[in-house]
Amino acid sequence: MPIYTDTELIIERRYDPWRARHTVNGVTHVLHCHHYMSLYTQLAEDCGMLDGPKLLAEVAEDAFYSMLAGYFKEHGITLLADKIALAEQYYAFSGLGQMKIAAAGPDSGVVELECSHVDAGWIKKWGQREKPVNHVTRGYVAATFAALFDLQPRAWRVGERESIVTGAKRSTFIAIRA
Amino acid sequence: MAIDRKRIIESLSRVKVAGNEEGLIPAFGVFVNQLPAGFWNSFAERLVWQVNDELRDAAEALLVNAAHECGYHTGYGIITSDEWRAVVEPMIEQAPEDVLHGAFAVLAAWGWAKAEIVELAPNERILVRAYNYYEADVVRHGVRRYPCAYMLRGISAAFMDLAYGGPYDASGATGLRAFSCRQVRGIECGDEYGEFVVTRA
Repeated sequence: MPIYTDTELIIERRYDPWRARHTVNGVTHVLHCHHYMSLYTQLAEDCGMLDGPKLLAEVAEDAFYSMLAGYFKEHGITLLADKIALAEQYYAFSGLGQMKIAAAGPDSGVVELECSHVDAGWIKKWGQREKPVNHVTRGYVAATFAALFDLQPRAWRVGERESIVTGAKRSTFIAIRA
Repeated sequence: MAIDRKRIIESLSRVKVAGNEEGLIPAFGVFVNQLPAGFWNSFAERLVWQVNDELRDAAEALLVNAAHECGYHTGYGIITSDEWRAVVEPMIEQAPEDVLHGAFAVLAAWGWAKAEIVELAPNERILVRAYNYYEADVVRHGVRRYPCAYMLRGISAAFMDLAYGGPYDASGATGLRAFSCRQVRGIECGDEYGEFVVTRA
C-alpha cells in the first residue's frame, strides 16, 4: 500500500546559550513584535531621500529567498506544489500570517492573505489607512516566486492590489515576471 | 542578587514559538514575529548608508525608537506573562532592580543578545554589557566606524522606562522615553563586547 503524506515544513530549532542565539534551520532568527514591524515600515515610508518601501521589500526578498531556496536545495524539493506548500508554511511559522498562493506560473502569479501580521499590527497600533503597507510581504512573494521557478532575487515585480489595512477582507498580491 | 540568570535562560529559551492557524503569534499583549536576524540588520544597514550624512543621525534615532517602543510594550507583556510569573517572579526579592536583571536574562533567552547589567544606580543609570548580539553580524571582517546596535539601545532604555519611568502606559504617552541609551562600545567596532549606558532622558 502506498503511503500518502502532505509536504510538511521541517523546523530544526536550536538555542546556543554561549552566543544567546536561536537558529531556525541553521539561520539566526529573532523574535520581535508588531510595534517593531510597524515602526520599521513607517520608517521605510517616511524616507524622503530614497525609495524606502522598495528597500524594505528588497531586504525581505533577500532574507526569505535565502531561507526558501536554501531549504528547497537542502531537502531536494523540486515539485512546484511542494515548494508552494512549504513557502506558505514558513510564512505562517514566522507569524507573518495566512498565505495562499492562488496561482503561480512562469510569468505571473496571485497570492492572497486571509490574515497578515503587518496589517493586523498596523491596525492595532494606528488603525486603518488608505494605502497598502505590506512591503515585507511583497518581498516575501518575490522571494517565493524566484525560488519556485529557480530564479534569482529581483526576477519578479510584486504589487499589493487589495489590502487588509485599507479595510479589504483579504490582501491580494500580483506577481509579474520582470 | 536573587536572580538566577542561568536558570531563567535555560527555562525560557525552550519556549517554542510558531504561528497559530491564522499564521499569527499573539503573545505578551502583542503580535510576535520570528524572522531571520539578517532581515532586520540588512534594512538598518542599507538604510543608514544610503541616506546622506545629515540625515544619518535621524535615521539611526528612528531605528532606536522602533526598538524602544517594541521593548516597552513587549517588555511589559513579558514581565506580566505566565512564563515570567512561573520562572522569574519567585526569584525577585528587590523590585524593580531584580526585575531589570531578570528582563536582561530574558533578553538572552529570546536570542536578542547575551547581555547583562554590570552597574546599576537605582532610578538613575545602568551600564549594560553585551558579549554577543546579532546586530554585530553586519561586520564579518574588519571594524565598523560607528556602533550600530540600535535594537539593543532601544530595548535597554525601554527596560529602564518600565522599571523607573512610572506606571506602564499602553498609549506610550507617559513612561516611554523617560530614559535614553548611548552605545559606547561595540563588537562591530572591534571591541570585545558592546557597552550601553542608560540614563534619564
